Amino acid sequence: MTNGRPLSHVEHHRAIVDRIVSDLRPVRPRWPVGARLGAWLLLDLVVAAWVVTHTHVAFVTKLRWPSYALELAIFGGAAMLAALLALRSAVPGRDPRRIEVGLLVILAVGGSLLLASTPLRSDYLLSNFVRTGLPCAYMTCLLAAGPWLGLAWAVRRAAPMHGAISGALVGAGALLFSFALMRIHCPVDEPLHLIAWHLMPVLIVIAASAFFGGRWLRFRPTAIP
Amino acid sequence: MARLQQGDRDACRALLDDIGPAVMQFLRKRIANREELEDVYQEVFMALYEARRSYEPGRPLEPWLFAIARNIAADHTRHYWSRARWEELSADPPEIADSTAPEAPPNLEQALTGLPPAQREAFTMLKLDGMSLEGAAARAGVSVAAMKVRAHRAYKALRELIGREK
Repeated sequence: MTNGRPLSHVEHHRAIVDRIVSDLRPVRPRWPVGARLGAWLLLDLVVAAWVVTHTHVAFVTKLRWPSYALELAIFGGAAMLAALLALRSAVPGRDPRRIEVGLLVILAVGGSLLLASTPLRSDYLLSNFVRTGLPCAYMTCLLAAGPWLGLAWAVRRAAPMHGAISGALVGAGALLFSFALMRIHCPVDEPLHLIAWHLMPVLIVIAASAFFGGRWLRFRPTAIP
Repeated sequence: MARLQQGDRDACRALLDDIGPAVMQFLRKRIANREELEDVYQEVFMALYEARRSYEPGRPLEPWLFAIARNIAADHTRHYWSRARWEELSADPPEIADSTAPEAPPNLEQALTGLPPAQREAFTMLKLDGMSLEGAAARAGVSVAAMKVRAHRAYKALRELIGREK
C-alpha cells in the first residue's frame, strides 16, 4: 500500500525485483544430474566393495547361473535408474516421465518374478525361518542407509517439486541397490525367505521414504518476512 | 539465467522483467482473486530466486520456470480449497433450501472448474490463449503427445459437463 492506495501490478513487480536484485548473491549451480549420479555410484561402489570382501558366499561361482546373474543385473540396473530419476525429479521441469517410471516398475517386477522361479521349500520351521530372516531384513536396511542418505541429501539440495515422488525414488534407488547386495551377501536362495525378509523390507522402506519425502524433501521457499 | 547465478544484477533485473508478463499470464489462469494473485506472483519470484541453484545452465528456461510457478500455484490452490472447505463446514447450514432459484445456463468457466487441473490447463492454453501444441507442452513440462491426450480428454469431459448442465 502506498498512501493507503493499493500497489498497481507494475509497482508491485518493481518492488519485488528491487528486493531480489538487492539481495542477489552469486551461487554455484548444482552439479549436473549425471555428475551427481556418478558421485552416488562411487559411494555405492564403496558399500559394494565392503560386502564383497566380507561375504562368505561363493557368489562368483553363483554368477555362472544365468538367472542369478540376470537378477543381480536387473536389480542393479533398477537401482541406478531409480537414483537417476530421483536426482532428475529434484530439478524443476525435469520430472520423470511415465514411461521411465513404467520401465523401473517393469524391472523391479521382472526381477521379483525371477526370484520366484526357484522351487519353494516346504520343510521350514517357523523359528528357523524367523531366526535366519531377521538379520537379513536388518542388513537390507543397514546397507541401504548410506546410499539413501547420500541420495536424499543430493535431492534435498536441489528443488524437488513433488516430495513424495522424489522420496519414493530415493528409497527405490537405495533399497533396490541393497537388495542386489544382499543377494551377494546372503547364502539363502529360497524364494519365501527372499520375499519375506529381503523384498518386504525393501517395499516397506520405500513406502516410508515416500512419506518422508512428502513431509521433508519437497522444495518450499522460505516465508517472506 | 546463468548470469543471474553469477550475481549479475543487470541480467537479473532484465530476466525478471522479461519473464514477469508470462508468469502473470500463467497465474491468471489459476487464481481469480486479484490480491491473492499478486501474493502468489511474489511467492513465485521468491521461489525462483531461492531455487536458482537448481537451474542447469544450457537447458531451456521455460520448463524450469513454469514447473516452479505451477508448484507454487498448486500449493496456493490446495490451501485455498482446504480453507474454503473449512469455512463451508463451519458455516451454519441454511434452514430451507432455495428451490425457486433459476437454473444457471451452461457456463464454460463453471464447466472448466469441473476438470482436473492438467486438463483445464491444456484447454486454457490451447483454446483460450491460442498457444501452439509445442508451446503449451513446453510450458506444462510434458511431451507434445501427452499434451494432445490431455486436450482430447478435456474436450470430451467438457462436452459431457456442458451437456449435463443443459
